[in-house]
Amino acid sequence: MTSKEAEALGKTTRPRTGSRHPLQRIGLPLVGVVLLIATWEVTVWLNDLDSIVMPRPMEVLRALGDLVVSGEFWDDVVVSLTEFGSGYVIGVFAGVVVGVLMAEFSVFRATVHPVVEALRFIVPFAWIPLVILWFGTSLLGKTLLVAYATFFVMVVSAAKAMQQVDPTLTKVGRMLGMSRWRLAFAVQLRAAAPTIASSARAAAAIAWIAVVAAEYVGASAGLGVLIINASTSLQTDVVIAGMVVIGLVGAGVSAVIGWLSRSYLSYV
Amino acid sequence: MTTVAPETVPAAPERAERQRGQPRWWLYGAAGVAAALGIWAILAQMLAGGGGAIQRLASPLAVGEQLASYATDGMVADLRSSLAIFVAGWLGGGILAALVGLLLGRVTLLGRMFLPIIEAIRPVSSIAWVPLSIVWFGFGFSSKVFLVGLAVFLVVIVYAVDGCTRIPGELVRTSTMLGMSPMQRFRNLILPGTLSEVLIGFRVGLMAGWGTVIVAELVAADAGLGAHLMAVQRSYDIAAVMATMLCFAIAGFLMTVVFTWVERRLLPWRLEEQR
Repeated sequence: MTSKEAEALGKTTRPRTGSRHPLQRIGLPLVGVVLLIATWEVTVWLNDLDSIVMPRPMEVLRALGDLVVSGEFWDDVVVSLTEFGSGYVIGVFAGVVVGVLMAEFSVFRATVHPVVEALRFIVPFAWIPLVILWFGTSLLGKTLLVAYATFFVMVVSAAKAMQQVDPTLTKVGRMLGMSRWRLAFAVQLRAAAPTIASSARAAAAIAWIAVVAAEYVGASAGLGVLIINASTSLQTDVVIAGMVVIGLVGAGVSAVIGWLSRSYLSYV
Repeated sequence: MTTVAPETVPAAPERAERQRGQPRWWLYGAAGVAAALGIWAILAQMLAGGGGAIQRLASPLAVGEQLASYATDGMVADLRSSLAIFVAGWLGGGILAALVGLLLGRVTLLGRMFLPIIEAIRPVSSIAWVPLSIVWFGFGFSSKVFLVGLAVFLVVIVYAVDGCTRIPGELVRTSTMLGMSPMQRFRNLILPGTLSEVLIGFRVGLMAGWGTVIVAELVAADAGLGAHLMAVQRSYDIAAVMATMLCFAIAGFLMTVVFTWVERRLLPWRLEEQR
């Protein structure tokens, strides 16, 4: 995963121009959703599709309802979120530390940079078979995979953000007699924090994709497993319901991280 | 710097100067790579007897040998079938995304109606689509192309919408003042303005799409690099697994290099902006 990709995930297609009227803001997307569901319904009806190929919207809704009331479903959500959370925290922390070191010490940067660049081309997905060989379906393997996916996004963006801090700030700090570390932590890291936070949010999206992928190829529980089990028993309605859940959790995680970084960085 | 990778960490200007002036910065890089290889070799040696969670770690040498033997046997065919899926999905998904993005970006009503839906689909990872793509398209070529195309589509459309909504208003007004017809304005202003942004999307989609090829082939493993990866994984051949991973990485790297070269030909002003 590259930092550009992280940028893409952080980007939205939301129009920048604010809607003039709340009816437009809520009404038009609603029309879009209704049109989508109508097209879906009509496609199924016209082609007389089997529910294995394409279930009707109501069936998916019912499957979603069944999932929500069943206990196993929540276990799967918890498993996926645990894998995500543990790996993400490690990845962000390690990534920011290495990124800051790379920005601070040019020797360190010159030494580590080629290794980081080379490893970045081994995308997290390519690690999945090896991780399964090494760690089986354990939590540790998934944690490491998620940490790996997060780490490279964070290293690159943290180093970049630190180096793009307004040089005046550094000069002012130096003039005020700040030590090198005080300057790095109290001035540069703070100034770089908003950029780092926004790439942390993008990294969360990548990490969430990695979690589901890892579960898909080898796991004993989690949302990826939920989808595989549903698809092997040909319950396409449950598959789509699972996809909806994956999307919702992914969006939720990203919103929570956005909210956390906003409230933590209230000074900016 | 820009020739190696699309987005390397930019050095501070004075550092860049120093790097160019003194060859010893190259030495640090070489030392870093050598150290990484050394640590890897030592770890492999230490874990050879079976050490905890990582039961076996192939040594760099063994991986190199595997890579060489795979290169002479089967790699070309696997690479060809993986690349075919990738190129079909990447171009198909990207071009479709550019068209849809132009439509949704320029026609505000449609944009307001359908962009939230696209926004809602994006957090669903492409892997989650695997069961549906198998039900819809079977296990063959087309289901993988669908997955790759979807992944690339969801990346490129963001750039396409961004590109055509961000065309400066004064340029649009100027073109109107100069008496351009809507069709002329579209061809001469909006299309080029969007395309340069779409190309960034294509570049980002490069790695997203290539990553999805791996996933699609891991799941529906009948041909390609991913199938090979799965096959050697089943026979517990760690050196071969790592060699295949390297293949993926090298192919991804080469694609990025080629794309950077093409992009520079197409949009010479882009690199000026980046600098």
